[in-house]
Amino acid sequence: MSITYLEAIREAQAKALADDPRVFIYGQDVGEFGGAFKATKRLAQEFPGRVLDAPISEDAIVGAAIGAAIEGMRPIIEMQYADFSTPGFNQIINQAATLFWRTRVPCPITIRMPSGGLAGGGPFHSQCLEGLYAHYPGLIVMTPATVEDAYSMLLEAVAIDDPVIFCEHKHLYYHLKAPALPTDAMPVGKARVARAGRDLTIVTYSAMLHEALAAAEEIALEGEEIEVVDLRSIKPLDTDTVVASVARTGRLLCVGEAFPWGGVTAEVIARVATEGFGLLDAPPQRLNAKDTPIPYHPDLWSVHRPNANSIGAAARNLLRM
Amino acid sequence: MKQLPIIMPQLGESIAEATIVNYLVKPGDVVAAGQDILEVETNKATMIVSSPCAGKVVALTAKIGESYPIGAALGRVELSAEEAGKMGLDTAAPEEARPPANGAESLAKGETEARRGVEPTVRGLPVPAHASGASYMSPRMKARMNELGLHAADLAGVPGSGAAGRVTIQDFEFFLANLEKHKLSTASSMRVAVADAMRRSWTRPLATVGMPCPLEAMLAHRKVSRPKIGPALYTLRALAVALADNSAPAGRLIGNKIVHPPSIDIGFAVEAEDGVLVPVVRNADVRPLSELITFYNELVALARQRRLPPEATGGSIATVTNFGTFGLTWATPIPLPEQTLVLGLGAGRKIPFWDNKKNQFVPVTEANLTLSFDHRVLDGGAAGRLLSKVASLLQSPEKL
Amino acid sequence: MRDRLHPMLHSEENPRTPEAPPPFPAQYLKAYRFMLLARVLDDKIASLGRAGKIHGGVFLGRGQEALSAALGMALRPGDIFAPLIRDGAGRLAFGEPLLDAVRTCLGSALGPMRGRDGNVHRGRPKKGLLPMISHLGAMISVVNGALMARRFNHVEGVVGAACVGDGGTSTGAFHEALNQAAVEHLPLVLVVANNQYAYSTPTRRQFACKDLSDRAIGYGATPHKADGTDLEDCLRVLSTAVAQARAGGGPQLVVASLLRLCGHGEHDDAHYVDAKLKESALGRDCLQVAEERLLREGWADSEALLALRQEVTREVEAAAATAQREPAPDPFKEDWCALSSRHLREIFEAPIPSIPA
Repeated sequence: MSITYLEAIREAQAKALADDPRVFIYGQDVGEFGGAFKATKRLAQEFPGRVLDAPISEDAIVGAAIGAAIEGMRPIIEMQYADFSTPGFNQIINQAATLFWRTRVPCPITIRMPSGGLAGGGPFHSQCLEGLYAHYPGLIVMTPATVEDAYSMLLEAVAIDDPVIFCEHKHLYYHLKAPALPTDAMPVGKARVARAGRDLTIVTYSAMLHEALAAAEEIALEGEEIEVVDLRSIKPLDTDTVVASVARTGRLLCVGEAFPWGGVTAEVIARVATEGFGLLDAPPQRLNAKDTPIPYHPDLWSVHRPNANSIGAAARNLLRM
Repeated sequence: MKQLPIIMPQLGESIAEATIVNYLVKPGDVVAAGQDILEVETNKATMIVSSPCAGKVVALTAKIGESYPIGAALGRVELSAEEAGKMGLDTAAPEEARPPANGAESLAKGETEARRGVEPTVRGLPVPAHASGASYMSPRMKARMNELGLHAADLAGVPGSGAAGRVTIQDFEFFLANLEKHKLSTASSMRVAVADAMRRSWTRPLATVGMPCPLEAMLAHRKVSRPKIGPALYTLRALAVALADNSAPAGRLIGNKIVHPPSIDIGFAVEAEDGVLVPVVRNADVRPLSELITFYNELVALARQRRLPPEATGGSIATVTNFGTFGLTWATPIPLPEQTLVLGLGAGRKIPFWDNKKNQFVPVTEANLTLSFDHRVLDGGAAGRLLSKVASLLQSPEKL
Repeated sequence: MRDRLHPMLHSEENPRTPEAPPPFPAQYLKAYRFMLLARVLDDKIASLGRAGKIHGGVFLGRGQEALSAALGMALRPGDIFAPLIRDGAGRLAFGEPLLDAVRTCLGSALGPMRGRDGNVHRGRPKKGLLPMISHLGAMISVVNGALMARRFNHVEGVVGAACVGDGGTSTGAFHEALNQAAVEHLPLVLVVANNQYAYSTPTRRQFACKDLSDRAIGYGATPHKADGTDLEDCLRVLSTAVAQARAGGGPQLVVASLLRLCGHGEHDDAHYVDAKLKESALGRDCLQVAEERLLREGWADSEALLALRQEVTREVEAAAATAQREPAPDPFKEDWCALSSRHLREIFEAPIPSIPA
């Protein structure tokens, strides 16, 4: 008996629907069809009237979720792909993110964004937009990397009184399996030391966690131990755990699948530089996707984003500094 | 087929580049591993660059008469399949097939990039070879050393394993851990204070000049004076009188200003337990020897007991040190950080001196006078003139 | 008196209690009062603006009072209302306290927006009054969502109203939301105030259809047209549209024609407004038209109207005086946290590291 990352997301939504009558799901093809990735498989049948197909209107989908949230509901929105959240961007960042600050009325919506690359996805089905949303005050941005986190963090996202951008990684949907659903979880906002080490810290999240862990195992054969920190949520970002890890290792490599300009890796380095400058024994490094749109062909795509090989090379380079 | 670059090797310490003199092979030649490929010339010697592997020379890109930095690729050798297999290079794609280096790839290229070494320029500006390296101290190193109260000088003996030999935090902690294996004793506060003063002083370009000085007149004068006057006091007084005419050599250079001494206060070195104290004789230019002698002796006694009054310490413009008391004939003392000059007096010796009148050697007692000085403030000529003046004043001790 | 002007905000009464419609003259007079109150308030806000007491823009609703008041009056407590920039009269009719308006314009810490947002960006979401964001058309789908929530909770007989101008009809959000309301068959009343200009852009550069109300059929909504300068027509059309929505008739698209009788904001002298338009029937001042009607029909005499104006002016002056005495928000006591979940906020001020001695 094992459960995939995708099934965990489906199960979390089933549990949320079962436990809380205020929860409903709204998005394109989420109803009887069960979602483009089957993340809402059979939910429309199990919870009649509470899993609604939406027209292809991302702006109106998010707007409606906000209106329902004002009325006390807890909608879960599925963006078919994170890439398609941009037509709804205005509602997310100008309406949902500002509502509580302006009116004291919370906006408990969860927006699921199937993120990141799959081979052949191309420029419009592969993006990682977490950094974009994390930029805005008033939003929580979750980036689960494990089956357990996908399940427990999605439940937490629904329970949180603020808008949550839930970046679930498409590459992990089917590849990642766990023996069972978790029974307890770390609180949101806490990073996890996924692998202990002493020579270098890799800070990462989502699918890149697994690439980083693979690189760390390989480098361990060379006698150097890499500590890997899984941020879990990028906003809030657990600076304490990151700085504590750098205090142990003196070297920092940040890895993200998003585009290189600004973003999560830059933010982590900025924080370590301001709060932990005296802990650094080498210039902090970052590794991101290339500064081009995401290519279609698998050979191009696999080089466009960081992977275990390029992370390993970056880590070795940093270890030599 | 796999190709390996012919790299300008590290030709010796402090050598950043070398000039191509001559090719010993030509493109197309089959070469053995380690075979001489070309001759290069550094500012020290002519040396040989050899082949990285057995194979065929496919390109010699370096031009004769031109200089290339250490790590530069000078040409390429194509490996035979057999050789590539032996070197474990048979699986990798040929170098030309790689995408252009930037971003993540340049990191992935690792070894090749490292061997290519420094580029001679970055964005049009020349960069020194290994600019990233040796003296770089990371924020963590600085923080850790601050915590332990250490200075860069303490790291002189630590071999670095980081880029260009820099000392990494791991190297440093290893060094510290190893120290624990040795016998350790705590340095006295006097030792630490002297160390600090010397370290600060050493940041300046210091130079020393010296000359022999006959001591007959001084010794004769000393024999009859009561109480007895020490050679250091004669020298101190002579220096004070010499500086009274022109105090500029004792000035300090701060930015573009010479700060002239307000009064001729001269210190003298007294050895105390585990260090040196420097009592000060104020206005030594206007107080004759006869007046100074008792006061001087008191100061020596107080210094040895480490009970110098505050008015007798600090603020001196030069120091006199009689290193001759240790039997030394020559030394290059370091002036105190706030002073420009230190005058040294070596041990007196009888030497044969050619007496023109007698037309024969006669025994004469003489000692070396040394003057160490901050070369930013004065040059060898000025230092020599000052020292000559002191030596000449010492020939008429009765006038001091 | 003031209490009777905004019953909704103080009402614990059951929103679904059917009210017997008041006799027409009384309803007309009541609407006129909201229009007058809104106009006097606008004049006061404009005067405070000229005195430099208002931070940011000053936006008035002159010329749109009849349409706005008619909509506000057609709604009931418990309905959803997302007014736009020129809906002062509708807000008052829906029950927004006068003080909310003045406090928000002056940035009072005691206003509903507490100085965090200003002028027309105000509301009380939990009372069904949604605070607009500046992005036109964005509020319509929010009203849809609120109506969907009511449906989830089996609350019936509710209407949601959203307002836009002619310019707002060009946005994608307008299209998406009206389509969404039709797909979900929501009781949405979407009111378009076609005031001939979107800031300075005339309608001929905004849309090419003959009449905006023609669009309704394409979405599956019911079209309505109103003369925005005529209070009676507005009352009739809006009450019809709202009633049809309430009765389950799905989304209603009301397009009212009028002319903006002010600049886009008080910074705008509106020199670009066509003089012929000003002279036309569209350029009539709805307040004056209503006043003449009241006198003509004998529903009020000039003395009563003067007394009403004095009463309304006293109310506005009292509210302005109150708000002006109130404290501004204190930046050092401000709770700089955009999240309701305080424990998840991020603190960006890094601790200043102590320099070792």
